[in-house]
Amino acid sequence: MNPDVHVRACRLIDASHVEGISAPEREWLDAHLAECTACRARVHANERALRAVRSNTVSVDPALVSTTQARVRLRAGELRENQVRMRALWISCTLSWVLGVASAPLVWRTFQWIGLHAALPNLIWETAFALWWLLPAGVVTVLVAWNQRRTANQEGFTSLPQ
Amino acid sequence: MKEETREIARGLRRRDPDLLDELIARYQHRLPRYLWTLTGNRGTAEDLFQETWIRVLEKCHQYNPRWRFETWLFSIARNLAIDLLRRRQPESLDALLHPGGEGTAREWPDRESATPYETVATGEQSERIKGILQRLPPDAREVLLLRFQEDLDLSEIAEVVKAPLSTVKSRLYRGLEALRNLLEEESV
Repeated sequence: MNPDVHVRACRLIDASHVEGISAPEREWLDAHLAECTACRARVHANERALRAVRSNTVSVDPALVSTTQARVRLRAGELRENQVRMRALWISCTLSWVLGVASAPLVWRTFQWIGLHAALPNLIWETAFALWWLLPAGVVTVLVAWNQRRTANQEGFTSLPQ
Repeated sequence: MKEETREIARGLRRRDPDLLDELIARYQHRLPRYLWTLTGNRGTAEDLFQETWIRVLEKCHQYNPRWRFETWLFSIARNLAIDLLRRRQPESLDALLHPGGEGTAREWPDRESATPYETVATGEQSERIKGILQRLPPDAREVLLLRFQEDLDLSEIAEVVKAPLSTVKSRLYRGLEALRNLLEEESV
């Protein structure tokens, strides 16, 4: 028999396990295997190899499952609380921004009036007005950044041994 | 199957605790087995099992129901395992998958429910097979187990190991050949 035939058969035998073969290829292979002992041995060797892979089983400590379920539930609770806190923070920020914008003309006139009566240079009361606006936003930005960093650290491999 | 994955995706987005409990129980054998394959250490695999589920909870909105759930799950588990092992030993993945190097026994999974093959291949022979599996190249062993034990298809394996389909196929062919030769050498 032509050695190329055996090479093709071996390739198809392996391919049938790895990626599958077409119906005509299967038909050809079955016909070849019916008359070739060497290639049948290859089929058996592959089957033995796959049985070896499938025999690699595990036993799991039942406590692992319950412990994991408890940890996941705990973490889900933390995430929910965090979500509520973040929502409250965003609502306060939005409200504060809306109120700030709405009251801006009044605040501007108030700072102007104080500046005039205290005989302050324009630059001083205008800077004070700008700080009045920017300071709360700056504080909130720092707080949000700090909270995100803290959350990211908590999400790390805190429980795994190094 | 598509309906099931969509159902899982919906439940995950809600962070449904009952669904997560069910998934943890459902994958209590398959996930540790895969993690054992990657790390070769029972304790590490158990830690990673827990971390994987915490990560699933945190990234639940990222699950795409186009994929089977186990594809996404194994992908998360693999990333965590690689991160952990890299932090422990900053070398290549191949080296990382052989902690301790030569002379250190790799801890392999215990036997669970006996398959028909296992019933025959008991005791010493079973240990020899585990020994043979240890001698496979780690990347080939991983794809062999994903393909023939976890029954993932080639595209799913490619997604889990983040490698092109052609690489997955060549690892499978290489692994199958290596395993066949090792079994022949050992005459198991």
